[in-house]
Amino acid sequence: MIIPVRCFTCGKVVASAWEEFQRKSEAGEDPKQVLDSLGLKRYCCRRMILSNVDLIDEVMPYG
Amino acid sequence: MELEVKEFTDTSGNFVLNKTRPVLANALRRTLISDIPRMAIEEVEFHLGPIRGEDGKEYESITPLFDEMIAQRMGLIPIPTNLELFGFREECKACKGEGCPNCTIMYALNKKGPCTVYSGDLEPVGDPTLKVADEKIPIVKLDDGQAVLIYATAILGTGKEHAKWQSAHGVGYKFNPSISVNNKKWDGDETCIEVCPSDVFKVVKGKIVVKDEEACIYCMLCEESCGEGCVTVEKDTSKILFQFETDGALSSKETLTRALKLLEDNFSEVSSMAAKLK
Repeated sequence: MIIPVRCFTCGKVVASAWEEFQRKSEAGEDPKQVLDSLGLKRYCCRRMILSNVDLIDEVMPYG
Repeated sequence: MELEVKEFTDTSGNFVLNKTRPVLANALRRTLISDIPRMAIEEVEFHLGPIRGEDGKEYESITPLFDEMIAQRMGLIPIPTNLELFGFREECKACKGEGCPNCTIMYALNKKGPCTVYSGDLEPVGDPTLKVADEKIPIVKLDDGQAVLIYATAILGTGKEHAKWQSAHGVGYKFNPSISVNNKKWDGDETCIEVCPSDVFKVVKGKIVVKDEEACIYCMLCEESCGEGCVTVEKDTSKILFQFETDGALSSKETLTRALKLLEDNFSEVSSMAAKLK
């Protein structure tokens, strides 16, 4: 839906990294290096970003 | 117990506890997670009904997410915390729990679509230094004709009550690895040290040498693959490697000093009670 504010497991704020990750990985950068540069070192935080699908745009008109 | 600092940044702490025991490290871990007070949004008030824009356009107070979902997301945003200025609301002498500038921070959120509402759009009512530091957290997205008008109240709390008041994250420790190598028992096959996922070993002049002892994660793959007696991994429970992170509400240094102070206070309280026993 929308990127969760914090990592479910450890509680680190991950939401602020989402837009930069999306922009850079769409531009063709290696997702691994983007995650590293955003300071997401634990795999619990990395999966929050990697497994998110932004569906909020699809439901927006039905709000 | 001795504390040796390895690296401290604003949001992360990395240190070594010497001459200690696992129980003490665990007490510190639990205090860091659940006992240090910090600010978080607790009450959120939504304006319901039409919202008129400055241009005279009428917006609906409708969002793609449920109001409770937005309130939950706002609660998780790190709010700058100054523990010198703010106290717990229920212990507040100035207002007796009613809510006043000594125990609460008010935020206003006024946004009209189409846009993304960010944590940086939260405007503190009064002191502008209380603006949220992490401005890029998306709270909700708004379509054309949608708008939000929200008043939020942040109060002090601890991680015991809700995870949004948890000060330290990713808190963990491990015992200091002590790795010894008996090269006489090594058969000369380098694949047995290449199995190490943390790259602890290297080979120098036909001998296995420990390169980075602290990187060891106790997977014991080296002990298994090198054969009996060649590599021995032991845990030194009197030396503990400790690390934690904070989210910017409190600095890592303040979080740690608060945790140690709290532990000291709690233990001295127990010991003074125990002294009164007959």
